[in-house]
Amino acid sequence: MPDFSPTQYAVPLFVVAILIEMVWSRLRAPQAYEPRDTLVSLAFGLGSTVAGALFGGLSVAAVLGAYEHRLFDFGEEWWLVWWAWPLAFLIDDLKYYWVHRAGHRIRWMWAAHVNHHSSQHYNLSTALRQTWTGHFTFGLLFALPLVLLGFHPVMIGIVGGFNLIYQFWIHTEAIDKMPRWFEAIMNTPSHHRVHHATNPRYLDKNYAGVFIIWDKIFGTFEPERDDEVIRYGIVKQLGTFNLLYCVFHEWIGMLADIWRSPWKHKLSYLLREPGWTHDGSRDTSGMIRARWIERTKQSAKSQSKPVAKRNPIAPPQEAA
Amino acid sequence: MEFGASLIAIFTLAGLAVWLRLGGNPVLRNKNAVSLAASEVEDGFETERVSIARGGQAALVRDPKGRIMVIKRHGNKFVGRTLTAAARCTEEVDALVVDAGDPHFGAVRLPLSDAPYWADAINRL
Repeated sequence: MPDFSPTQYAVPLFVVAILIEMVWSRLRAPQAYEPRDTLVSLAFGLGSTVAGALFGGLSVAAVLGAYEHRLFDFGEEWWLVWWAWPLAFLIDDLKYYWVHRAGHRIRWMWAAHVNHHSSQHYNLSTALRQTWTGHFTFGLLFALPLVLLGFHPVMIGIVGGFNLIYQFWIHTEAIDKMPRWFEAIMNTPSHHRVHHATNPRYLDKNYAGVFIIWDKIFGTFEPERDDEVIRYGIVKQLGTFNLLYCVFHEWIGMLADIWRSPWKHKLSYLLREPGWTHDGSRDTSGMIRARWIERTKQSAKSQSKPVAKRNPIAPPQEAA
Repeated sequence: MEFGASLIAIFTLAGLAVWLRLGGNPVLRNKNAVSLAASEVEDGFETERVSIARGGQAALVRDPKGRIMVIKRHGNKFVGRTLTAAARCTEEVDALVVDAGDPHFGAVRLPLSDAPYWADAINRL
């Protein structure tokens, strides 16, 4: 059985790529990095590997248990079935799309995933801003179909590792657009900038890992526009570089909401979308987007009126 | 061993970002800059009255509905909070200290020429 962790081998490449991007930033866009933000992002990355070492065993045991109930069997030397690798990669990427979408639409999952979005910067260090608490969500359930189809958990781990490595390089502003054919199929810096944006137009869009086609198929694709400056982060920016608060803030907020709310709403604070409240006191991404659409519609309507109507200098019926 | 090496790499990269002088020190220079920052905090927030703290590190904004937002610099970006009844403010000799009621956001000190106006407006929320 192969004993191979692709992400472990990729770490030196990550460091070199960040160094190169920092030099680019110095020459072209010094504001792309902020030292304290970089420190927090990298500490997130290190912490997530420690969390993986501490809690990953439970996940491995669970998927190995499920593997015993697989529907198909690739044989004892499953790693020699060459076509299973690209197939596993493709299905794992589809799985990534849905687990990622759930990570944005279910507050319990968001409590862990928000960490990746809490920087107001978008650079390669942001890619390493990974959660410490993913093992305390039900994200693992999304991998069960693959395991039950007969893909060995180690194979899923390896293709998942390559998926994460692919996603590293797309966290940059240094690359504008890739060739058109590439943008059409693959997730790119441009598509993923949209995903990290808090602009209402871009909220909850482009969940893809490697292939952007999933967003196009499931209706969540939004292209990046040249006429709109992207602002990164989360709707309510944290405003602090306190690492532990950055890690746990959404868990604290969610548990406080559950504690304070009436019994009939407690589960909703766990399973409904971030921002949902039983008294409507906060905004969901859908509410923010709806308000923005209404506002821009009104603005467009007023812009489409003739100048004389927008800015009358004479009463109606008279020549302006 | 691996953990220690990673820790050294992290501090080296962060140190390099300092050495390369990445980040910068943006300031709020005028009403347009504050309006932009306010709309980033809350999309569609209209700025009717604006007061920029001396030095441009922070600002207070009021919209036509009477809502007040405090904006402060965070790193090389700006962040803000729309104030609620939980907000508190204290007047100093030459400044106003606004506490948005969010301990992690922290109190914001704003050297302002019209501090009494804002103190009154915030206390009436």
